[in-house]
Amino acid sequence: MEKLSTDLLVIGGGATGTGVAWDGALRGLDVVLVERGDLASGTSGRFHGLLHSGGRYAVKDPNAADECARENGVVRHVAADCVEDTGGLFVTTPFDDPAYADLFVNGCRDTGVPCEEIDPARALREEPRLNPRISRAFRVPDASVDVWKLAWALARAAQGRGARILPYHETVAVHRDRDRVHGARVRDSRSGDEFDIEARVTVSATGAWAGQLAELAQIEGVRVMPGRGIMIGMNHRLVNTVVNRCQMPTDGDIIVPIRTVSVIGTTDVDTDDPDDHSVLQDEVDAMLDDGERLVPGFKEARALRVWTGVRPLFEDRKEGGPASSRDVTRAHALLDHLDRDGVSGFFTITGGKLTTYRLMAEETVDAVCRQLGEPRPCATSTTRLPGSGDGKYLHVGDRLGRRERELQDDQLICECEMITRGQVEDAVRQRGTIDLDDLRRLLRLGMGPCQGGFCIYRATGILRGMHGINTEQANEALLDYVRERWKGAWPVLYGDQLRQARFDEWVFQGLLDVEHFA
Amino acid sequence: MNGSLHYDVVVLGLGVAGLTAATRLAEGGARVCVLAKGVGSTHLAPGTVDVLGYDPERVEEPAAAIPRFIAAHPDHPYALIGADAIAPALEWFAATLEHGPQPAYRYTGGLERNHLLPTAVGVARPSALVPQTMAGGDMRSNEPVCVVGIPVLRDFYAALCAGNLRNAGVPARAIEVDIDVGRVEANSLLLARRLDDPSFRAAFAARLALLVRPGERVALPAILGLRDPFGAWSDLERRLARPVFEIPTLPPSTPGMRVYDALVAALRAAGGRIVLGAEVLDVERSGERVTSVRAHSSGHDTVYGARWVVLATGGFGSGAIELGSDWQAREKVLGLALRGMPGPGEPRFTAGYFGPQPMSPVGVAVDSSLLAEGTENVFVAGAALPGSVPWREGSGEGIALASGHFVAQAVLEREGATATA
Repeated sequence: MEKLSTDLLVIGGGATGTGVAWDGALRGLDVVLVERGDLASGTSGRFHGLLHSGGRYAVKDPNAADECARENGVVRHVAADCVEDTGGLFVTTPFDDPAYADLFVNGCRDTGVPCEEIDPARALREEPRLNPRISRAFRVPDASVDVWKLAWALARAAQGRGARILPYHETVAVHRDRDRVHGARVRDSRSGDEFDIEARVTVSATGAWAGQLAELAQIEGVRVMPGRGIMIGMNHRLVNTVVNRCQMPTDGDIIVPIRTVSVIGTTDVDTDDPDDHSVLQDEVDAMLDDGERLVPGFKEARALRVWTGVRPLFEDRKEGGPASSRDVTRAHALLDHLDRDGVSGFFTITGGKLTTYRLMAEETVDAVCRQLGEPRPCATSTTRLPGSGDGKYLHVGDRLGRRERELQDDQLICECEMITRGQVEDAVRQRGTIDLDDLRRLLRLGMGPCQGGFCIYRATGILRGMHGINTEQANEALLDYVRERWKGAWPVLYGDQLRQARFDEWVFQGLLDVEHFA
Repeated sequence: MNGSLHYDVVVLGLGVAGLTAATRLAEGGARVCVLAKGVGSTHLAPGTVDVLGYDPERVEEPAAAIPRFIAAHPDHPYALIGADAIAPALEWFAATLEHGPQPAYRYTGGLERNHLLPTAVGVARPSALVPQTMAGGDMRSNEPVCVVGIPVLRDFYAALCAGNLRNAGVPARAIEVDIDVGRVEANSLLLARRLDDPSFRAAFAARLALLVRPGERVALPAILGLRDPFGAWSDLERRLARPVFEIPTLPPSTPGMRVYDALVAALRAAGGRIVLGAEVLDVERSGERVTSVRAHSSGHDTVYGARWVVLATGGFGSGAIELGSDWQAREKVLGLALRGMPGPGEPRFTAGYFGPQPMSPVGVAVDSSLLAEGTENVFVAGAALPGSVPWREGSGEGIALASGHFVAQAVLEREGATATA
């Protein structure tokens, strides 16, 4: 196998890693990014989709609030095509301490979070499903962000500057020569091939997996305490504005409208394993009850799916660690392992949150350039990403608009998300993937209320009809998809979504009998 | 405006179970009215009669396998109905379809041996009784198959089907012949209506004839006509001089609609009445008897008095049984008790998609005569019954037909007893 050689090797393809790749490439560095799965398939792809205004941290973590307030505007500018300008509300419900609202106002003022108090009656006119007993309401510039779109926009931007982006490449070893890291050995998880990447600098942007990665470089004591949280995707947008409860951040206090759905989040459970995706029944029940407090009737809506994400909350074992993951700072941590461990050519960037991905990338590449002794200024706060050139925000009606224009041109494959046959074929060709879960992240295939009941058979048939894809691969793509979907569906199956799941079972197990492929 | 009507039997639900029970009752002389919110699963199902396909290995001979299956599953509907009651129900179904509104359209097979028909992904699926228009697809035969895709139909993919047929040992290839419907996409129903037209069939067959090879069976998605499927099928066979068969695919199901049309016609011919779009509001009871059902339809609330009620409203899939967000399950139409619910703390579902799912066999609690628990005159038929997982067993239509038959017989016997007394 070939051996690659580069200036900057980025390990990890979440928002931070793709952000670092783009930042480095924009500054003229040669960049290779490796990611063990699909881009944004770890923590980045497993959150609720909130682009923070900073309001959530205004009282508790003023530094984080300030960072979010600044980066919110930057992301809106450079990645408009990935952002939906929903706006946000903080509302005081009867379940919240009324004294918090004044703290919140002061906190927003002190941290630069734009915040306007509005008449609760007006908030209810704008969001009629909100709890009618809210006593105060504040408008903030929260937004929702399609993180898969963002990660791929960053990747494409970096590719445009010569970067090589390698999803499905797992790092199996970090090459260290005494006190210098000089690259890594990676395995192509599809072909099984292994090869070496020689790099002047290696950045670990592996989030909750940063401790594991540091160990590959024989660096001890990098501890990322994974805080596991569940989110539940509800069909339809129960609200069109991000709605937060005006209280100290806690479980189940935010509903984010994103694309065709809305997501309630989140919980926070300490875990040892960043790959722990268990969902506890008590968490689900508590989350549904929390939804009911914000939006009465919440539990009558269809819960599509539950998923877990692990926050990368950094804790340096060189200092005394705090007790619970919600109390660890939300701020990010950049470790220059030359300063910390006497090992050059290696940096760890972890912690933080999606909203501040760009700032994290900027600080990281600043440090990289310093160590290389090549001052190169950062330009990511002013350079717009591909697709965002016109500064137009994503809009939930965009697909319907396009569909109306193309009604006579292309077949609709996924009715829920309005995806056409041409889009599926283009995505397969461009991405070189036959994984329907990749297409899900890219196109939202099967993410709507029917959860793939119709479109997955169609997409499988389309895959099989394409050049170079054989029957076994197509079968496997279908089976992988239905098994994977079920994992997120079964813990929240009730009401009409159970009815839907039963229909899907009839389609896949009865009508098609996919369990019995020869 | 409100009204009041009296029947011997009110049947709730218009799937195969409800239609079978109602038609049998009407044929037996009972005054029957079917109330249904909408059509049943016929429009979604492939139109085959599956009696027992997996136990859990593939069943070749249902007649031989059912007694063993019953012994191993004493709570299964078949155990209550009895193995002997299944064959007469199938015979009745086949006879009813044969004399139905689609000329010469008939079913073939029985309990002796399952057909092994390809699904739309080319998997051999076991079915006991199948439309004659599908029977030629049996995968025990290694006669080559030419699978015809119709690009405008986004619900069928010939290359995938042919690929899996080959994997299963049946020589197969895929071709495509498009049908111009004046737009970019169509479903099975739209194409079936085209194929009801003999002149369209002639033109379609002429194009197909250029592409099929000698010795091949010709497989088409199940679009061979809604009103005249035998005509469409036999016409293509004759014009191509090749065996032709249909493969059922995603809903809407043309073969299922043929079943619906035939059973509705039989029910009406026997004097039964159907009120479609009727939502049950509440019932009156006298002791453990339901004496009337109040339903809303077309802007009216009507009270339907009845000596007997047959509940054939389906299970979780139809919405007649619902699991709430409080994790309590309810039978929503009559508020009947359920059986098989996992206890508190027990899993409702498990993480493996093909694994056992404790909620799946939940249904309305019945006694051995299929009388709902706590009632004296409400019989239960079809997917509302507990104890089965029909989409995994391949038993949906078998249970619907046999239980529909069984409850009709039970009511007629009791009516007879009443009349004699």
